[in-house]
Amino acid sequence: MAYNYSNINDYDVLVIGGGIAGIEAALNLAYQGYKVILVEKDLSIGGKMIHLSKVFPTLDCAACITTPKVSETARHPNIKIYTYSEIKDIEKLGERYFTATLVQKPRYVTDACTGCQLCEEKCPVVVEDEYQWGLVGRKAAYIPFSIANPRIAAIDIENCTFCGLCEKVCAAGAIDFTQEEKRSTIVVKSIIIATGFNLFQSERLSYYGAGKFKNLLTSMQMERQLVPTRPYNNVLRPKDGKVPDRIAYVLCVGSRDKSLGNPICSQVCCMYSIKQAQLLMGALPMADVTIYYIDIRAFGKGFDEFYKQGVGMGVNFVKGKIANISEKENGDLILRYEDIDSGVLKEATHDLVVLSVGILTNPDFEKLFKTTPLLKDDYGYVRQVSELLSPSKTSIDGVFVAGTASGPMDIPDSILSAGAASTEASVYMKGGAS
Amino acid sequence: MAKVNPDFSVELKKFGGFDLNACYNCGNCTAVCSLSTEENSIPRKMVRYSVLGLEDELKVSIDPWLCYYCGECSETCPQDANPGELMMSLRRYLTSKYDWTGFSGLLYRNMSAYVISFLLIIIGIAGLSISNVFSQEEWLHYGHYLEMLAIAIVFAFILLPNIIRMWILMVWNKEKKFSIRKHFLSLDVLFIHMFTQKRSLSCKDDRDNKVWWFEHFILVLSYLLLLFTTVFLNWFNTENMGIIVLGYIFSGIIFVVTIDFILRRIKKKKEKSTFSHPSDWFFVIWLMLMGFSAFIVRMLIDFSVLEKYFWVYLFHITVLIQWAIIIVPFGKWTHFLYRPFAIYFNNIVQDTKK
Repeated sequence: MAYNYSNINDYDVLVIGGGIAGIEAALNLAYQGYKVILVEKDLSIGGKMIHLSKVFPTLDCAACITTPKVSETARHPNIKIYTYSEIKDIEKLGERYFTATLVQKPRYVTDACTGCQLCEEKCPVVVEDEYQWGLVGRKAAYIPFSIANPRIAAIDIENCTFCGLCEKVCAAGAIDFTQEEKRSTIVVKSIIIATGFNLFQSERLSYYGAGKFKNLLTSMQMERQLVPTRPYNNVLRPKDGKVPDRIAYVLCVGSRDKSLGNPICSQVCCMYSIKQAQLLMGALPMADVTIYYIDIRAFGKGFDEFYKQGVGMGVNFVKGKIANISEKENGDLILRYEDIDSGVLKEATHDLVVLSVGILTNPDFEKLFKTTPLLKDDYGYVRQVSELLSPSKTSIDGVFVAGTASGPMDIPDSILSAGAASTEASVYMKGGAS
Repeated sequence: MAKVNPDFSVELKKFGGFDLNACYNCGNCTAVCSLSTEENSIPRKMVRYSVLGLEDELKVSIDPWLCYYCGECSETCPQDANPGELMMSLRRYLTSKYDWTGFSGLLYRNMSAYVISFLLIIIGIAGLSISNVFSQEEWLHYGHYLEMLAIAIVFAFILLPNIIRMWILMVWNKEKKFSIRKHFLSLDVLFIHMFTQKRSLSCKDDRDNKVWWFEHFILVLSYLLLLFTTVFLNWFNTENMGIIVLGYIFSGIIFVVTIDFILRRIKKKKEKSTFSHPSDWFFVIWLMLMGFSAFIVRMLIDFSVLEKYFWVYLFHITVLIQWAIIIVPFGKWTHFLYRPFAIYFNNIVQDTKK
């Protein structure tokens, strides 16, 4: 196959995934002088962290940590970001190079966009907003979310009615319906996989009625209700807009469950639930918050203190897995569980229930490689071939893994992992042992 | 003071297939169970007792008998610890504890004991037929007396004492101040559960469960009626057309339903038919053989060719005796008695407590 090798020195490293791990790895390498190409499948970089309210156990504002890093990445002269793009057909080229196909999907808005949002205002189509996890609607011509980067609109072509209003109203003339998918070949020396994780789809659990009961939220939806840019400007239950009084958290939804094919702990659900419970006690001082758990796993630095702080603030902890949830006529939900302390079957009524969904692998990385596949581990994550000595090493020489692509972990661990991956990639490119 | 016995789970393993030590005590099984109540929260307590090996507590427990193996606990168990199969194994274990002869425990734990005892009966019958102690008419004539005798002996010397032992464990040990009156007043509970198994209808509310219940219901009735027809109405020697037809119907139903039950155990589609202990296979296959051979024997009589195919009758008698003196007193058959009696005793104890 004939490659155009003229661009062989354009980039040194390909970072796949623009979440916190990918950003961190890209920045580390860029500051060392490597040319980095960062490819993100979504419309904005920032990953999942940019959507969170606060981080545990320090209760720092998540967006306030992410956005400066995101801007830094976007402005760095050594980093080229491709959003709404994908990587395909990675292949080894000789000993030290990789080739890959970069697929840029059309967003139907050019870089001339100023982010004024006039198109959004005029667009007549309203669909569910995936960046608010379905809590509210968005337009078909839209800026993904308020702190998106790049702050460029996109046209949701699936739902667009081609009325042309956006095109008329755009002063910059940035709307371009003639855009098409662009494919190009890139050549790099090393690759960092930072494809992150998927959240467990709670709709799979018919016995919880997720997707059916309105007042049953996922933890990500509750996270959005707690951010400064929250959609309802208050914590409300979706069915009737009532301020909830008795909020319940169901832990281990989709984690530590062999019957669902995911036997491992997601490592973050206990702590983010305790974090949300504490934030809720601040947002709704009159509300009772109960956390139903199997075990509280507060293993990190400051985690146990954070848990005890939650207990001290009055969060009610009940040991017992919720077996099923049923809905009352007024939208309240009944949780059935065995109270492990007394060994007795119980039912509890709550007016808002949050499912603390776990972390699953994002299997996208399996489709990246053309001939030699990247091996995965027993749980579907990227296999770490030398977990103790060289944790970011994968089954392919020169390909490194960062963040939750290698397994469930929290934000500090993802950043640490990105640090390790970028260092190992750097050593590898210098020709050192890796 | 309870004494912890970690070796107990090894012992219990011989009664069935499950992974006790996988349990992380989330209580999902108890909460998901449709038969679990506040008074009788099953089955996690039994899992705990078994893990710790608290045999004294287990022996007096009624909980295993309240379980009908709906299977939801095992389907949704996050650790694949299989609490449903544990409850089934505990029923086998309890059966062996009620049995004063100790033969139940031996049979449940060793399949070879089953096979040897079955072989001994085959040899016995073969010996009798070869030595011509009985003529064919005598076989037919005494056959059902032999059955009557077997039933009487099994009831008087094994099942009745076992139920008294069960009563001592479940009632006498728990409530010394039990009332005789309550024993009479609760008799309806005993008979309702013995003949209808209606609690199992509270399992998952799906069609398959209702079909299963109906099949089991008609199987129990047909079995009891066939027993009555052959033993007391002397089916094989009667000229009465009504009795003959009824016998055909009952044995036919037994054959058809047991074939379906065997297929369920082979297909393993539902949780309750996923694990099959040798005792389950013996029970359902012998019941099938009994229905089938009875049907054929009567047919041979009606076509007047029994003398030619007399070995079929001997086969039938062999199956019947194996059933009557092995499976009925020591095998899975006992759940027909122990389960309703347990519910009945529980009723008495609960009433007394109130």
